[in-house]
Amino acid sequence: MSSEPTGTNIEGTAPDAEHVVETDEATITDDAELERTIGLSGGLAIGIGTMIGAGIFVFPGLAGAEVGAAAAASFGVGGVIALLVALPTSELATAMPKSGGGYYFISRGLGTLAGTVIGLSLWLGLVFATAFYLVGLGFYALDGLALVGITVGSSPETIVSGIAVVAGIGFTVLNVTGTENAAKLQNGIVALLLSMLLAFLAFGMADALGFVDAGTPPGEARDVWAIGPIMSVAALVFTSYLGFAQVATVAGEMKSPGRNLPLAMIGSVVIVTAMYVLTIFVATSVFTQDALAAAGETAMVEIGRALLGTPGALVIIVGGLLATMSSANASILSTSRAIYGVSKDALLPRWASRINLKYGTPHVALGMAGGPVIVLAATRQVQLLAEVASFLHLIMYGLMCVALVAIRRDEPDWYDPDFTVPGGPVIPVIGAVASFGLIAFMDPFSIVVGIGVIGATAGWYFYYARDIRLKGAL
Amino acid sequence: MTRVLVPVEVLAGKTVSPGLMQLLGTVDVTVLGYHVLPEQTPPDQARLQYEERATAALEDLGQEFRTAGGAADHRLVFTHDREQTVDRIADEVGARALAISGVTGDIDSLLVSLSGDVAVDRILDFVIEVIGDREIGVTLLLAGQPEAGSDGRLDTAASQLREAGIDVETSVSTGSPFESLMDSVPNHDAIVMGESAPSLRSLVFGDESERVAAASVGPVLVVRSDEPSDDEAV
Repeated sequence: MSSEPTGTNIEGTAPDAEHVVETDEATITDDAELERTIGLSGGLAIGIGTMIGAGIFVFPGLAGAEVGAAAAASFGVGGVIALLVALPTSELATAMPKSGGGYYFISRGLGTLAGTVIGLSLWLGLVFATAFYLVGLGFYALDGLALVGITVGSSPETIVSGIAVVAGIGFTVLNVTGTENAAKLQNGIVALLLSMLLAFLAFGMADALGFVDAGTPPGEARDVWAIGPIMSVAALVFTSYLGFAQVATVAGEMKSPGRNLPLAMIGSVVIVTAMYVLTIFVATSVFTQDALAAAGETAMVEIGRALLGTPGALVIIVGGLLATMSSANASILSTSRAIYGVSKDALLPRWASRINLKYGTPHVALGMAGGPVIVLAATRQVQLLAEVASFLHLIMYGLMCVALVAIRRDEPDWYDPDFTVPGGPVIPVIGAVASFGLIAFMDPFSIVVGIGVIGATAGWYFYYARDIRLKGAL
Repeated sequence: MTRVLVPVEVLAGKTVSPGLMQLLGTVDVTVLGYHVLPEQTPPDQARLQYEERATAALEDLGQEFRTAGGAADHRLVFTHDREQTVDRIADEVGARALAISGVTGDIDSLLVSLSGDVAVDRILDFVIEVIGDREIGVTLLLAGQPEAGSDGRLDTAASQLREAGIDVETSVSTGSPFESLMDSVPNHDAIVMGESAPSLRSLVFGDESERVAAASVGPVLVVRSDEPSDDEAV
């Protein structure tokens, strides 16, 4: 079998292929070099920065309302599944340190149809995730307005949508025109968030374990320790873990990818899982199930208020705004890389990856990210957006595990990962089963929307690019 | 032979002045064509779009070097981080010095800064090699608070250059190395300095405006403080 991609799309464009040499510092092509500039801290900031916004600041109220204190177990299940996928993803990424992440691994391991479906689903999955983060941002901004004494009239929902849409437009424009070094800003925000959360957790743990009494409100505890509900909440909150694979979308720009990619992906999952489980433990200790249900998307603000009064509420609001912004921004960046990956392989028109010389930014791809994000953000359907995002990512995660098994079985010459998942096929197989299995616990309507998206992407492949062959090509 | 790296922001229409090309006629030259991208853009995406245009511009530059009597090969890099790229390529080609181009005609006089904690011998060796047997005068500048033995440094350096047949003047200043250098610029065509002088490093590695300032005073040659051993150089 040829190791070159073959075929052309409906416009007659062939995949762009070239022999490259990867070193720790650069990718060397025939005529040019591509500098690797993102270090381990940058990789961790992408992983943690994408994940931490949704999970800690939006879900405690929603998840606690369903199962009470058992929500900590739901977050634990999500973390374990994420780790089971992060290990195989690390192996694939060290063997193929390229832009595009999951799309790249699946198109080379399982063929062009699966690749196209995942490449386009990664784009749309990130669009759903970004819209979810922006709606979370809207809820936090609304609470912030209330805290500084601005009360909104009869339709707070409209305000949330409005803020989400304006923020979506803002981030898109910022990404097209902003050429300042936002990576350093992102690193700073992540560091600030982690320290704020640690302080909050320390105080909350002291309260939860009875060392201090913050005078938490009375309520009726209804903790639901049952497999079904815990898994169902795990499916809902899995959106909190979508960031680790985004590290793979910048794999082509990571320094020493053989070392930094596994550390950044696995490290960010472990750190974030620990933070989530502890936060949920605190949240469900301070507020019982019915109190969490009443507080909704911004329950964390009420918990901060119960623990530390108005300053506590303020800290959580600022943290929530920063975290949802950081998630939204990191996701828009990943989206544009996902679009570039498929466009380079001629599965989308080449113009989708055009960049402009004025700002040097991929304005078309950023527009293809920002446009649908704005439409979805206006719907304000937190749960639906989160679950569809999770659905599309879980399909990708499951297929990445399958791709790892398939590539290992084929043993192609080019496959030489620096990091190998121990235990043979056990972890990837469990990872695949867990990823696909979690989908079964989702809301049926979310599953229908997700399947619709997958169907549309498969239709696109048969219409646009059915002659292209990518399997086995590096 | 001594190699000098000339970083050029090739897609921004930057080029190398004819005076600098002539000055570097006695040494090997690598032109580093680079293009800095914001983090939103994968370097590979820019390569796909701009590689041909950048390569053509670099080939034109190589032709101009040959016309000016020298020779140059080139590397093309798409990057998010200019400093990291310049450092890496300088290491890989084993460059003794970096040059940033500035507006200049023929180069008849060099301003050589020995201020700060720099490897004086490496700077002098480089100056002697670049000048060769040409009629180019040198002003040695030592600025900053005088330390024990710093007068001796200037005199020893001056006699070392005179032995090589170079016309030398010396200048001492107690002002800051950067300001003294800028004050002495008007009577000279190009600057030579050591990389390890921290206050001068920004001329090459600083932000855009600092580098523009450097370019406006004419070409600046920065002698690197260390170079990799021969087996590391590619």
